[in-house]
Amino acid sequence: MILGLISWARKRSPWIAHFCTGSCNACDIEILACLTPRYDIERFGAIVRGSIRHADILLVTGPVTRQVRDRLLRIYEQMPEPKYVVAVGTCAISGGVYRNSYNIYPGVDSVIPVTAYISGCPVKPENIINGLSFLLKKIGESE
Amino acid sequence: MSLESFLFEALKIIFFPGFVFIFILALFYEWFDRKFYAKLQNRVGPLYAGPLGILQPLADFIKLLSKEDIVPKGVDKVLFTATPLFSLSLSIFATLLLPIFSVKGLLSFEGDLVIAVVLLTFLCIITFFAGVASYNRFSIIGAERSFLQLIGYEIPLMISVISVALNAQSVTISSIVSSQKGLWYILGPNILGFIVFIFAAQAELERIPFDLPEAEQELIAGWNIDYTGRRLAMFRLAKNIELVFLCGLAAALFLGGPLGPVVSGYEPILYTIYFIIKSIFVLAILTIVRALFARLRIDQIVSLSWKYLLPLAIIQFLIVRLMI
Repeated sequence: MILGLISWARKRSPWIAHFCTGSCNACDIEILACLTPRYDIERFGAIVRGSIRHADILLVTGPVTRQVRDRLLRIYEQMPEPKYVVAVGTCAISGGVYRNSYNIYPGVDSVIPVTAYISGCPVKPENIINGLSFLLKKIGESE
Repeated sequence: MSLESFLFEALKIIFFPGFVFIFILALFYEWFDRKFYAKLQNRVGPLYAGPLGILQPLADFIKLLSKEDIVPKGVDKVLFTATPLFSLSLSIFATLLLPIFSVKGLLSFEGDLVIAVVLLTFLCIITFFAGVASYNRFSIIGAERSFLQLIGYEIPLMISVISVALNAQSVTISSIVSSQKGLWYILGPNILGFIVFIFAAQAELERIPFDLPEAEQELIAGWNIDYTGRRLAMFRLAKNIELVFLCGLAAALFLGGPLGPVVSGYEPILYTIYFIIKSIFVLAILTIVRALFARLRIDQIVSLSWKYLLPLAIIQFLIVRLMI
């Protein structure tokens, strides 16, 4: 019963931290649009937290460059368990138009484990909400 | 003391109006605050956790309890562990002074209003130690800001409380409440003091426009940046209980506390209902202030409290002094 309660609480209270690995800011603006009255992801209990120590879900936008890889790893290791990573946008999934460039890793999942991918260039806020609800369903199944 | 009365007292402390009741009330107030704040911004707010999202604070609390507990390298381990406990226990102790189900609180003694004001300062000092204990550059700046804020709002808060005490000729919460049987002090001469108290309470709770100690855009999360899991859950719960305490104190000092028209025989139930309605009225004012204003700079906060709040509080004191 206690495990069920914890699983319910984790599904209902996803706190988000947002990390930009060098994107063009389009995806970042769409993430911010999710907080506005039209989309309002606080319905799911999601709050955007500044501190990575408070967060459950890391939203990564943009292509992972060699410069930012160490910082991304450090941010990831500072998160408390259980933690989930979401790659937001084509650049974060595969490198996008920068793929095969000499200083770009092919996607976030080549650096840290990723649970959900949200596609689009830039992603639509509806798509982010869809990805978030998919992730929450997955959290419930894995418990 | 016989066994029955001992059991009755124990039940009072544990369930109503003791720990369990205060815990439920704290979570309910946080939900009301978030939901009303969202409505003021034309959003929906928490929706899916329980009916109308009423279980959202509970979900946050349980989730934080179940998360990994990280103690970073380089923190002061004793303070890092002790400050969440101190903050929670002091805020619960403060709430026991509130007159919830009768004119007297669960703890009631001569001069308990002084203890209530001292506990507010202690909670702020604990915030400072919590920030300093984690040795993070952002948390130390946040801790310093919470102290700077304290020298701004503490004196107007105390003077507004003192003028209520002068009006009632007593520093005991229960006799201040029972002296408001005829006229509430907010309708009497204490309206200025109520305004000062609301702003000072907002600063004490570190909410917008006085949320400098945890200013998200500048300091990431301020003084609680390194706290995870259980410790963060305790700090959040302590903040919510402090919210209950300040709303309840404002209701008790200015709005007549639990007093209201009663049917004889049902006094404890009716008193509790009146008390909750009045403190939610105060909470709604606090939420509207949070939604209306933008964050002030630290120098603006100190000059606001010394240039405007302190003269208002002194005028209030003089009005009460002249009327008696």
